Amino acid sequence: MSTKKAQQQAKQLFRLCVVNDLLDQNRARQVVQHVSHAGYRACPAILGHFLRLVKLDCARHTANIESATPLPADLLVAIQGGMARRYGPGLTTAVALSPSLIGGVRIQVGSDVYDGSVRAGLAALERTF
Amino acid sequence: MANLLEELEAQITGAKRTAGWQNVGVIREIGDGVAKIDGLTDAMLNEMIDLGHGITGLALNLEETEVGVIILGDYTKLEEGGEAHTTGKLLQVPVGKGLLGRVVNTLGEPIDGKGPIKSDVAYPVEKLAPGIIRRQSVNQPVQTGIMPIDAMIPIGRGQRELIIGDRSTGKTTICIDTIISQARLNRAAAAAGDKDYRPLYCIYVAIGQKQSTVARVISVLEEAGAMPYTIIVASPASDSATNQYLAPFAGAAMSEWFMDNGMDALIVYDDLSKHAVAYRQVSLVLKRPSGREAFPGDVFYLHSRLLERAARVGEKYGNGSVTALPIIETQAGDVSAYIPTNVISITDGQIYLESDLFYQGVRPAISVGLSVSRVGSAAQLKAMKQVAGQLKGDLAQFRELAAFAQFGSDLDAKTQAQIDRGKRIMEVFKQPQYDPIPVEVQVAVLWAVQNGYVDQTPVERVKEYQTKLMDFLSMRKGQLLAGIGKEKTLSDALKAELKAAIEEFAQMWQGAPAR
Repeated sequence: MSTKKAQQQAKQLFRLCVVNDLLDQNRARQVVQHVSHAGYRACPAILGHFLRLVKLDCARHTANIESATPLPADLLVAIQGGMARRYGPGLTTAVALSPSLIGGVRIQVGSDVYDGSVRAGLAALERTF
Repeated sequence: MANLLEELEAQITGAKRTAGWQNVGVIREIGDGVAKIDGLTDAMLNEMIDLGHGITGLALNLEETEVGVIILGDYTKLEEGGEAHTTGKLLQVPVGKGLLGRVVNTLGEPIDGKGPIKSDVAYPVEKLAPGIIRRQSVNQPVQTGIMPIDAMIPIGRGQRELIIGDRSTGKTTICIDTIISQARLNRAAAAAGDKDYRPLYCIYVAIGQKQSTVARVISVLEEAGAMPYTIIVASPASDSATNQYLAPFAGAAMSEWFMDNGMDALIVYDDLSKHAVAYRQVSLVLKRPSGREAFPGDVFYLHSRLLERAARVGEKYGNGSVTALPIIETQAGDVSAYIPTNVISITDGQIYLESDLFYQGVRPAISVGLSVSRVGSAAQLKAMKQVAGQLKGDLAQFRELAAFAQFGSDLDAKTQAQIDRGKRIMEVFKQPQYDPIPVEVQVAVLWAVQNGYVDQTPVERVKEYQTKLMDFLSMRKGQLLAGIGKEKTLSDALKAELKAAIEEFAQMWQGAPAR
């Protein structure tokens, strides 16, 4: 099976797992279980593409919040609320500490990055010289 | 000092920084100058993508989950997993008169070691061609200084004339001669203070050429003093396929600036066969479906959108023009191959160069039968029309009769006369490279040929006759030539003057010993 065909089939399987624009995790597990047990020659290629689609979907529905120091609870709630308003329901948040930011917050949802960190500010300043 | 500290403190206290938004992606795959990037959901087609390390890419494939980016620059520094982000800018190159006399790469960066380019304007590399309303018909000539072209296949400002032929048949030479001719005309007009003359600026785009070839072209143009009116965009064979693919578009953007500012420009694409090959490579590594000869399906559109940017715009829109001289290299004279037929159908005519003629010593080796200019006659000088109107027919008849005469020796007087005239015209049309002839001189020489003044000269001495006649006219009859250039038509008075001048020369010529 060609890579293109494997991609098409992975996409079809992925669509079967989406309910109301959100990935149904149980369906995804079932699909992987079923395909891996089927023993087709193209299974690794199809599952590889399927995994990639799931990863991209997870990234689209996860807000990675990074800060240099632990954020106060009320600020975190405010950020989560703002993100949920912008990206709709089903958005999960993952909070992480990243001292390399020096200060401020960096939030990434899929391809969108909101960078209010000191590191980004310094990098922007460096570019102006 | 205290004041400064207070000021800085106040500024820092009042400073508010909002979080910057960026659209990012992750490099998933790199190879052959192409990167596949996951994410970049907001990327635009042809948008510049910042790949980090000061390297830029160009988004060419926008797919559901990934973006195919061609990398401009050294991609060996990039790594899988690296971050890339959109810039919101389309690929642009610097434009303007600051580029004249310079040699630049595809991105408009100088590569001639003459320091930075003074230009504060940039144009997008991909731009829509002027629409129907903005255009007007071709009505001003491009004087190439090459007699057979100016006489039989005239080119107008705003025209697209293809130069096609096998390797080493003089395709580039025709374009270089044209550039040199423009430089001479521009310089002469500037020296004479002629305000009506519209200078023609030239852009030479070298695509996939050998570095040595490009260096030779530069040195020829420098020797001829043509560089001050010329921009060279070089993407030699050692450049990546990406740069070779983009080079003609960068050159087109530079020429468009002249057109948009009411000036005239001439652009040479040397050559579009190699451009198509570079595009094929880019398309194949981007995994686009391939078609005939493995070229992608949109290779016709690639060249049509490039050549459509050549135009003559109306007076309301600045009266500027871009004339395009694309070059196509054929294999064993096969003009019916994929890329040659595409470009022939796009352009407003073609100059076909034949290897056989070249090796017979007919240089420029223009095949009169296969060459045509579809719109150029509207721009041809009236004086040239008067003397060259019959030439194409005469030469075509000569070719036919000469082929027929090979099989028999007895020919009637009329046929023999036609063959003799044809042989002399062929001799007159031979011209050394890098030595364009002013149009007034061309008119005078052709008038002499058409009126039988060369008929008595043996064929092997026709070139000598022509050279001496041109010297005689240039040195002694400057006013007559200036009159032809000014009136642009051969009036009865000018004809009488021309007749007298040529008869005066004929007396000198008859007295001159044969070399």
